[in-house]
Amino acid sequence: MRSLALSLVMAIGLTGTAGHAGPDDNSLNIAWSGELATLDRYYNVLREGIIVGRLIWDALLFKNPDTLEFEPLLAESYSFVDSTTMDFELRQGVTFHNGEAFDADDVVYTLNRMADPENGVLTQRNVNWIDRAEKRGPYSVRLHMKRPTPIALEFLAGPLLIYPNEYYEEVGPDGMGQAPVGTGPYKVTAFAPGESITFERNENYFAGSPKGKPSIDVIRQRTVPDNNTQIAELLAGTVDWIWKVPADQAAALAGRPGISVVNEQTMRIGYLSFDSSNRTGNSSPVNDVRVRQAIAHAIDRQAIVTALVGGSSEVVHSACHPAQFGCEQDVATYDYDPDRARELLAEAGYPDGFTIDFHAYRNRPYAEAIMGYLDAVGIKTNLVYLKYAALRDQVYAGEIDFNFMTWGSYSFHDVSAIASHFFKATKDDYAGDEGLIADLTIGDNSVDRDERLAAYSRALKAIADNAYWVPLFSYNVNYAFSDQLEFVPNPDEVPRFYSTRWK
Amino acid sequence: MTVQSTEFELDLPEHEAPSPRAIVLRRARHHSGFLFGSCGLGLIILLALAAPLLAPHNPIEQNLLARLQPPVWAGTGDWNHVLGTDQLGRDYLSRLLYGAQLSLLIGISAMIISGLIGTLLGVLAGYFGGRVDLVITFIITSRLSMPIVLIALAVAAIFGSSLQLVIVILGFLLWDGFAIVARSSTLQIRDADFLLAARSLGMPAWRLILFELLPNIKDALIVVATLEMAHAILLESALSFLGLGVQPPRPSWGLMIAEGKDYLFFEPWLIMIPGAALFLLVMSINLLGDGLRDISAPEGRS
Amino acid sequence: MHIFILKRIGLAILVALFVSFLSFLMLRAAGDPAIAIAGEGASEADIEYIRIRFGFDRPLIVQYGEWLAGALQGNFGTSTYFSTPVHELIAERLPVTLRLGAMSLLFAILLAMPLGILAAVHPNSIIDRLALFLSVLGQALPNFWFALVLIVILAVWWPLLPPSGNSTWQHFIMPTIVLGYYATPAIMRLTRSGMLEVLGSDYIRTARAKGLHPVQVLVKHAMRNAVLPVVSHSTVQFGYMLGGSVIIESIYALHGIGQLAWESISRADLPTVQAIILILSLIYVGLNLAGDLINAWLDPRIRVT
Repeated sequence: MRSLALSLVMAIGLTGTAGHAGPDDNSLNIAWSGELATLDRYYNVLREGIIVGRLIWDALLFKNPDTLEFEPLLAESYSFVDSTTMDFELRQGVTFHNGEAFDADDVVYTLNRMADPENGVLTQRNVNWIDRAEKRGPYSVRLHMKRPTPIALEFLAGPLLIYPNEYYEEVGPDGMGQAPVGTGPYKVTAFAPGESITFERNENYFAGSPKGKPSIDVIRQRTVPDNNTQIAELLAGTVDWIWKVPADQAAALAGRPGISVVNEQTMRIGYLSFDSSNRTGNSSPVNDVRVRQAIAHAIDRQAIVTALVGGSSEVVHSACHPAQFGCEQDVATYDYDPDRARELLAEAGYPDGFTIDFHAYRNRPYAEAIMGYLDAVGIKTNLVYLKYAALRDQVYAGEIDFNFMTWGSYSFHDVSAIASHFFKATKDDYAGDEGLIADLTIGDNSVDRDERLAAYSRALKAIADNAYWVPLFSYNVNYAFSDQLEFVPNPDEVPRFYSTRWK
Repeated sequence: MTVQSTEFELDLPEHEAPSPRAIVLRRARHHSGFLFGSCGLGLIILLALAAPLLAPHNPIEQNLLARLQPPVWAGTGDWNHVLGTDQLGRDYLSRLLYGAQLSLLIGISAMIISGLIGTLLGVLAGYFGGRVDLVITFIITSRLSMPIVLIALAVAAIFGSSLQLVIVILGFLLWDGFAIVARSSTLQIRDADFLLAARSLGMPAWRLILFELLPNIKDALIVVATLEMAHAILLESALSFLGLGVQPPRPSWGLMIAEGKDYLFFEPWLIMIPGAALFLLVMSINLLGDGLRDISAPEGRS
Repeated sequence: MHIFILKRIGLAILVALFVSFLSFLMLRAAGDPAIAIAGEGASEADIEYIRIRFGFDRPLIVQYGEWLAGALQGNFGTSTYFSTPVHELIAERLPVTLRLGAMSLLFAILLAMPLGILAAVHPNSIIDRLALFLSVLGQALPNFWFALVLIVILAVWWPLLPPSGNSTWQHFIMPTIVLGYYATPAIMRLTRSGMLEVLGSDYIRTARAKGLHPVQVLVKHAMRNAVLPVVSHSTVQFGYMLGGSVIIESIYALHGIGQLAWESISRADLPTVQAIILILSLIYVGLNLAGDLINAWLDPRIRVT
């Protein structure tokens, strides 16, 4: 029985190519593991929600994934009146899926409603910089900000999707979340929360949209929690597209007939964080800078990237993603050097190493590899592997000496989205470094480009010198799909199904 | 609400006529399941104890350059890593040998904890009856009506998992089998003559339970113990599958299967080898338990 | 008889309350639900905003009291993740799990009882050995391993069945086999030992001696008695299956109540987890009660004890 099963499993390496049904009726079957509770973009926080949001709705602006320039989408043009005021001229002749005409009322209604904290938008930082929107004509809107917001365009091209005012007023977030209505390239025809979504092409999608004319007729999404089941679905031809395939499985899938695998980098980086300032009061060995530097020297990050993370990932040395504005690369680096690590440990008074709790919440193989390297220089680690919510709770409460976590910077191309988040006297700040806090404050508040660059440079150098963090590597995503499919991923981790087509 | 011992069929030995040792031994020699089970379990225990001598490599020493090497019988395998290497380049044979230690440790510890809790509650309920029985039956029913896997998952998600936690969780989850059997076995013999006699001699209850009652229900409990040990080992692998079992780098077979599951399609030996080992272990324990029941039964089943 | 029933029902309610209280205490330590709702990578301000908005900043006991008061009126509160009433969510997901449980139990009984009877009628025969082997096999394979291998064989290698999902009955075949198989050993053993006992009893000997046809003896006299423990065991087993289907539901993407519970634990969606635990324990307690009543009805001696 067992040997039979074994030989069967071995055999699939050689046989079994099922036909893909998708191209025949121009439909696309996709699977992912995220469970969307609501489709209302303002009331879900999953990445899958962003993907869906961009299918159903449009924002005022569009960020071109190739040039990273902002282009008009529902706006025809935009201009800054002053540092806190913007004007928009809107596109005319656009209609929502339910026939409602798009005009200034929709924009003013959406922005004002979402900016009101009473309405409980989950990600307040997307909207809390908006003071109010004001109608200046049937297709003309003025936006007032509470403060100068250098990344306002990111919000206006990203999460701030425009809703139909009459429909939303009638049905509210619950109705919109179950039966969404937008101007976007696809409309939802069926939605089972957490299970599946069916999209149909919006035949009336306005010409001239930078998103282009959608090609695929029907997109059927299913939530499949298990990685292996997703791969089985793809191999069986019952699903045409999956993502977040682990590196080893992606490499093996790439060799299969009928399947394409594409790797794309992301803004996410992994890091080791230490309680440098003894915030926990535990007097941990990592309070000592030499111990933190020893840990940095002990880990062969390049080997981990090459063997485990794979794809387009790279080792990072600075506490930010290299693609971010202000991410100084000329900082102290710690090469893989176990002997130096042992020396530093001995200097710090730990010639025989020590034992420490090591907290993590994802990528267990990476955590295990790190533990293996630490073990080799005498540092014994107890892995405490928690759910994200539980771990972040403890980090906030100031209880964690040593952890491996990751940060995606909301895909924002600016150091303020990462360094300032972790080292500016926030709940995540375990360094408590006054000079660092001062520099980050300058960088965040200045509008002068060079002054910002200089301030962030000083800050990132201080982080590296003191080894408050050991930045590890950037992340990547593997997409696997039918080789009949024309699909191009982007670094922002938002697959664009509206420009996907069958060959 | 009655709690029935549906899960375990019982053949209690009649205390008046204990089987002579010779008969039991003769039965044991002729019971193939018992022989197979005890040999299998014995072999695994031996391998686990001898792991430091037998293991060709350090089980937690990683080598990212030599990861995912196939076993010796497949294409590019070699004798340096007889069973190949895992995703971090650790020697799979060494991990398997050391993994036996943890899997046995988990099974035996969970069995002991649950055995102590369950036997204590069951005997107290059966012996004293009345209110004590009512309260303990209530506790058993409450325990039975808690969705076992869900609670284990929730607890592990809260506290983070560790070897100790896994053992404690399993120990606290699996005691109901012991309690039910101990209770019904005690009920069956509590009015037996020898107990009544001891009671009338003024023997204190704790002595009576410890020296008169327990020895007479121990055969039934040993059968439960083997089943629960097997159960604990399997449950540990299920917890590992959901990411909440034993924590790396020390391997258990359950953890190895769970870590190997992602390689089911393309490097199947990673899940097949520890799967086969776990299968052998759990099957041996079960056969041993079945065999013990048959052998200690008043009328031999064979 | 009425007093017997009332007592059992009272006890059942007490058990359910006790279980709900215990699970509440354990779950509430599961990490800050506000962090889970705000999502990975949310800012402090967002999390604080959500904490106050959802009332997670109030004392524990107040939150439990509120929940219990609602639950007693059939209102389990609102899922912090789905923002829909929990009872709607459960009404949507429970049927999938019930269907899986019922099919698995049926599968187990259909496989186990004939095997058990045959094994008892022909002890030590090939059939007896085969039955023993099957039952040992079922107790020794991790179910997720079995589930994944089955997908490989029946969905990828021979594409006979859909790998995952719950839209048609074909989708339920593999999960039914996997979940049902693990219930097979116990039912088979019960049947076998029950039959052995009955077959060895005096009245069967008498029936045989009277010259009744062996099949008639088997069906009319022996089986009826052997079935009793199986019935009461099956009710209990069904409860186990509902609680134990987490892994199977997750591998086969069934979107039943087990997977909902597991995902809700990860999301610290406490109202949902609490409601599911309460409902599963109520189902279990109810089934146990039903088993008791059936037994009492069939065998009046039980009522006295």
